[in-house]
Amino acid sequence: MAGHMKELTKGIFKENPTFIIMLGMCPTLGVTTQVFNAFGMGASVLFVLLGSNMIISALRKVIPDAIRIPAYIVVIASFVTIVEMVLHAYVPAVYDALGVYLPLIVVNCIILGRAEAFANKNTVLDSALDAIGMGIGFTLALSLIAAIREVIGAGTITLLNLSETQRVVITLPGISESPVRVMTLAAGALLLMGYLKAFFNWNTGRKAKGGESA
Amino acid sequence: MTRYLKTAFILFAICAVAAILLAVINEVTAPRIALNVQQTAEETLAAVSGGYEQGEAREGDGGTVTSVTPLLDGGSIVGYILELSTSGYGGEITMATSYLTDGSVLSSKVMSDSETPGLGKKAEESWYMEMFSGLGADSPLPETKDDLVDPSLVSGATVTFNGVSSAIREGSEYVKTLGGM
Amino acid sequence: MSYIGIIVTYVFVQNFILVQFMGLCPFIGVSKSSESAIGMGVAVTFVTAVASVVCYAVYTYLLIPFDLAYLQTISFILVIAALVQMVEMVIRKMSPSLYKALGIYLPLITTNCAVLGIAIINIDEGYNMLESFCAGLAAGLGFTLAIVLMSNIREKLELTPVRRSFRGVPIAFVSAGLMALAFMSFDRSLLANLHLA
Repeated sequence: MAGHMKELTKGIFKENPTFIIMLGMCPTLGVTTQVFNAFGMGASVLFVLLGSNMIISALRKVIPDAIRIPAYIVVIASFVTIVEMVLHAYVPAVYDALGVYLPLIVVNCIILGRAEAFANKNTVLDSALDAIGMGIGFTLALSLIAAIREVIGAGTITLLNLSETQRVVITLPGISESPVRVMTLAAGALLLMGYLKAFFNWNTGRKAKGGESA
Repeated sequence: MTRYLKTAFILFAICAVAAILLAVINEVTAPRIALNVQQTAEETLAAVSGGYEQGEAREGDGGTVTSVTPLLDGGSIVGYILELSTSGYGGEITMATSYLTDGSVLSSKVMSDSETPGLGKKAEESWYMEMFSGLGADSPLPETKDDLVDPSLVSGATVTFNGVSSAIREGSEYVKTLGGM
Repeated sequence: MSYIGIIVTYVFVQNFILVQFMGLCPFIGVSKSSESAIGMGVAVTFVTAVASVVCYAVYTYLLIPFDLAYLQTISFILVIAALVQMVEMVIRKMSPSLYKALGIYLPLITTNCAVLGIAIINIDEGYNMLESFCAGLAAGLGFTLAIVLMSNIREKLELTPVRRSFRGVPIAFVSAGLMALAFMSFDRSLLANLHLA
């Protein structure tokens, strides 16, 4: 069981798809203007990743090597379309907020990357755990970026935003009157990503050094 | 040769299963999506109607005004709801604005936009549109943000404001040409 | 909107990398030297322009008549994957020297958000076939502009002392952020002032 747990937890910290492997950057920065959008994107990616990892892992003996990429793309695109239709029908607010970045999950390198690197070599259970771990890691990373951008850029934290009546927004006094608005724009997102990546580099570098001396 | 056929067949089978699955889910969700769209449109119209009855909708002028719905009070037309489309900072903004027949704004609501959160997105909030309410007949509608009581309210989102205010002004002129009838 | 308006929009105002974050993976990954950046840019521009037209045709003449609009995402990505494969084969046959220059970038383009992104945006914006072509071409040109500028910055950065934790990707992101700040001066009012909106 410990081996299985490792598949689950590695995606959250050690091989975090966003901060360590640096995959799937466009949705990461495109939708992180509000914390709630990050939850929506994270959940959608988690669902697609779980579905495609399990199917691809189950079919890994059936799909010939020559056509594996088109086959994976069809499987992934089907799950993305399912997410699109379900969100459009039952939670239109999230569908509108994610916009073009929702169909773009198809080309999110995390999903094709996990199919290539993990699901076509491992059992269905391990692939499912890998998908859940990676999905949670992705959601956490997105939420962190979104929280920083929203707090500095607008002075609020939007936890729920389904309609005008179903809305939970924490407004921070002080910063919400004069927020640093560039953080919600493209430039702020890129700058923040640079600083966060530098922080993770510094942190792993520090740990590696500590390990050597110990 | 058989190897190629087998490969092609597997890929075809995967595509076929995917297409059938999606068709089934589409059957379930499509009516629901159509219902949502219709409901949102009705809710928006009801929200700006000011309590008046709504008449039959018809096409607008093909430009900024995309549709016209007369507002009725006991059978006589007291005003109109216009669906307006204009361009903001992030792209198209569509909104529903109701006017009395003299061209004054009753109320207004954004239906869709892709403005920047914290800046142009403020147009979705109710106080933003209240800046225009009651204006358009005797007192003029604001043309630029300097005509506002407090221009700092829309600072940083001038492009959005210009888009919204020009559409509301155009709608007001359009309603004046329609008259009471 | 006029054709020139569409081109200005997607090269500057809605620059795919610096405003919409589409194609960020190759932007960071392939921008270490200006030679490879130009190669990637040309390859992407070619594919976005062709894919825009083909996806438009598939959507308008196949999906809409048969009421299959819900297959949009899946058919577009398959069209793009097939197209990239075809371009690769044609270039290999026609011009081995061009293939040598672009070959390694072509497979990467299938999973480039910019290609699928512009195909979907064309449909959302309701462009016709020629407008889709312009938008696709301009999106590719905008991508090329950003990635070539970025590679020049990174070549300069190679010679500059940078703190160890910032070396490589982080400083590239920070540079991209500063470029995005500069690109903020291209906004909708530019289109209005040029009478293109």
